[in-house]
Amino acid sequence: MFPFIVVGLFTGAVYALAAMGLVLTYKTSGIFNFAYGAIAMICAFTFSELRDTLGLSQWYSLPIVLIVVAPVIGVAMERLFRPLTSVPAEIQIVVTLGVLAFFQALEPIIYGGQARALPSIFPTSTFRIGTLRVGYDELATLLLTIGLGLGLWLLLRRTKFGMATRAVVDNRDLSALAGVRSESVSRVAWVISCVFAGLVGILLSPGEGLDRYSLVLLVIYAFAPAVLGKLVSLPLAFLGGIVMGVVLSVLTKYDSNATVADIRLAFPYAALFVLLVAYGGRLKEVRSSFRPLRSPPPRPISGSSFVTGIVLLIAALILPSLVSGPQLSDVTLGVIFAAIGLTLVVLTGWAGQISLAQFSFVGIGAFTVGHLGGAHGAGFFPAALLGVLIAIPVGLLVGLPSLRLSGLYLALATMAFALLMDNLVFNRPDVGGGSTGMPIHRPRLGPWNFASTTSFYYLCLGVLVVYVIGASVLRRGPIGRRLQMINDSPLAASTFGVSLTLTKLITFAACGAAAAFAGALFAAGRQFMSPSDVSFNASLELLLLVVLGGRSLVGGALVAGAVFGVQLFPIPATVEQYIPLGVALGVIGVANNPEGPIAMTVRIVKYLSAVLQRAPRPGEVAPPAQQATPHRLVDEQPSVPTPAGARV
Amino acid sequence: MSSDTTVELAVAQVLTCQEITVRFGGLVALDGVGFAARAGSITGLIGPNGAGKTTLFNVMTGVLEPTKGRVYYDGVDITSWAPHRRGRAGIARTFQRLELFIGLTVYDNLLAAWEASVRGGVVGRHSADGREVVQGVIEWLRLEDLAYRAAGGLSTGQGRLVELGRALCTNPRLLLLDEPSSGLDSRETDRFRDILLEVARDPNGPAVVLVEHDMGLVMDVCDHITVLDFGKAIAEGSPDEVRDNPAVVSAYLGAQEDGSGSTR
Repeated sequence: MFPFIVVGLFTGAVYALAAMGLVLTYKTSGIFNFAYGAIAMICAFTFSELRDTLGLSQWYSLPIVLIVVAPVIGVAMERLFRPLTSVPAEIQIVVTLGVLAFFQALEPIIYGGQARALPSIFPTSTFRIGTLRVGYDELATLLLTIGLGLGLWLLLRRTKFGMATRAVVDNRDLSALAGVRSESVSRVAWVISCVFAGLVGILLSPGEGLDRYSLVLLVIYAFAPAVLGKLVSLPLAFLGGIVMGVVLSVLTKYDSNATVADIRLAFPYAALFVLLVAYGGRLKEVRSSFRPLRSPPPRPISGSSFVTGIVLLIAALILPSLVSGPQLSDVTLGVIFAAIGLTLVVLTGWAGQISLAQFSFVGIGAFTVGHLGGAHGAGFFPAALLGVLIAIPVGLLVGLPSLRLSGLYLALATMAFALLMDNLVFNRPDVGGGSTGMPIHRPRLGPWNFASTTSFYYLCLGVLVVYVIGASVLRRGPIGRRLQMINDSPLAASTFGVSLTLTKLITFAACGAAAAFAGALFAAGRQFMSPSDVSFNASLELLLLVVLGGRSLVGGALVAGAVFGVQLFPIPATVEQYIPLGVALGVIGVANNPEGPIAMTVRIVKYLSAVLQRAPRPGEVAPPAQQATPHRLVDEQPSVPTPAGARV
Repeated sequence: MSSDTTVELAVAQVLTCQEITVRFGGLVALDGVGFAARAGSITGLIGPNGAGKTTLFNVMTGVLEPTKGRVYYDGVDITSWAPHRRGRAGIARTFQRLELFIGLTVYDNLLAAWEASVRGGVVGRHSADGREVVQGVIEWLRLEDLAYRAAGGLSTGQGRLVELGRALCTNPRLLLLDEPSSGLDSRETDRFRDILLEVARDPNGPAVVLVEHDMGLVMDVCDHITVLDFGKAIAEGSPDEVRDNPAVVSAYLGAQEDGSGSTR
């Protein structure tokens, strides 16, 4: 047992470093940095490129990464998030996720996208303490981390900067009045945090291998330690990191037992989930306001959007005669992705319950039809319905944390849930077919066979049309109003007789069930499903694409589906790799417009066309009082057809 | 009100708070406070900042469970009822800090509240009735021009009126108003006073409880006033009695310096 504890101390030290880095920026700027692992990843890649590819000495490459690259990222992050310190938590989360996606998209463009081995920066030879073999690299890592932790503690406790930091943490505005420059405090915190991230990447990669996904997941191991200190206590974060390392290491000892192996895989996420739910309402959002996101009120479907819908539908109906079979398959996936996206629009955009676990429901639908759909798809629809039935209790389970948590903490809890589903359910070979996945057959219903590409396309299109019409009708009815109530003011909603518990749980379950059904079709569209297709990364991509399209708009889900479909097209790799980068940048743009960049663009185009229409023709005298025009962007008066007798 | 309230009295009163004590850790926010709201009348709840008015409000609406004491509504002990259950039973309120459904139009704010208060409202049952009620309230409060605007873009004065309308839409038996005139100019306050008197004069109207800093408004409209100071009810009676009560005068004079801050 003892050797495992010692080894655990070494890996725990790195988690402690990551946890402290996360806490530092959350304390000082109110931003929980979901991109932490991605920053670690990009730093590790840069280091690998400098040292192992360009052959630079370690003594040059290390400072370049830790004194130049990481601090530059830190300064950029501070600048990016400075205007976002008092916006709703949901925007902060989405923007950090956008940064995560940005670095993941950047890596293949700069560094080629291949997994690498990164040798340790310390000598890997070992020495003996009694019967115990200890690597010099492990010992050095531990000592380095303890040194940095102590240094940080001294910096915060014993220096003027530390005093300023605590002033900013207590009250940003007051400390600004007292002459503390809160931006500089935040900037230093971001720089230290990113330098820590760089170190974490360089220290963790030798053992784990370096690619653009695994470090992001590995750093999530540090989330539970950070939450242990309620995201504000550095000592508890440090302690939590060490404990995480030790527990995981001790569990390795009994890894041959399948149950223990599962427990070990699930522990970091289960700990995160349990801590969040246990702390519940005692977790405070440091800075983000409790104001809900303001979205434009739903209006009766206007003539123009009705016409747009009809045109889109006609285009979709004649599409099979215009494109080739493989392309139609890609379009089909985009269509069904849009339906999945719509379930997230309802859950996150309308009901305000952010979820990073929506693709877990896709997985439930997918693997249920994978097992029970039958070789010729005859059992597809019964199996899909069973998937829907399974999704309902799972949806209730994901919804449980929402009764006590909101914003950032709900996002973390749903993320933990998605990762638990990945590791405990989908990754089981008897569920998800193991790494090879499983074939999925296209459905058949009585006399109708949807095996052909075209017929399956029409099936998916039909489902999407039903989802879109259903959501649009719900949005404008009592249920839509009910969801908006719990989004805008849970307090007022409950005083007027709305049971928050019931409403949230039903919403989670219903959106999960709808996603599971769409997920069954998604699987049939791909004709093959493996656990990685429904992993947390897929949930993340879904959220990012929906946010890009417009998180509270039905059209937002359609845009998400379109972007997803386009990515599948056979486009040159040089172009293709820029699509995720564009998506990431678009999502980061949400910082300036919560409704999403697409909705913003539409508004600007409408505004410009309105201006152009009003512009005087040559020879015509400009009409006076043009001031009215610019206001329209800000204070748009909905031109709603009034119900009979409503207005005098 | 004294602790020996008889049961008959409790039934005649729409809402009765008995011996309410609320402690936040070591802080005693309310200390054995009694309070009653009577049908067809407006009861004022006043006191300096930090006296415990909003805390007592939160106890009445179920946001907060008292450390000690009972709350009776129509003679039924509702102390442990969740807020939404009280809402359905006919307790409606407005908020000191506006809590509008900012993503809905004014009309939909009112309609949503109505739907929440009736059984089956969420599936659209009796929705024609709801639209009629909402239309009536909108005309009564003269909100026609605002009806199809987003509630998120209203001024404070308009917002307070919409909150009142939203509460009235639920046809409440008990209406709790938390500083409804703060942020209103004098013209808006006058209009608010007229509406309030109209609500109270309605024989089928709700019992009204008014937490308010505007003493002019309180003295004008209230039939009965309870004064809180440091978590205790220090006086109770008609506006005239309360005005002349030396304890009240000293509580208010003593609190004059910090009178401009916000109330908890």
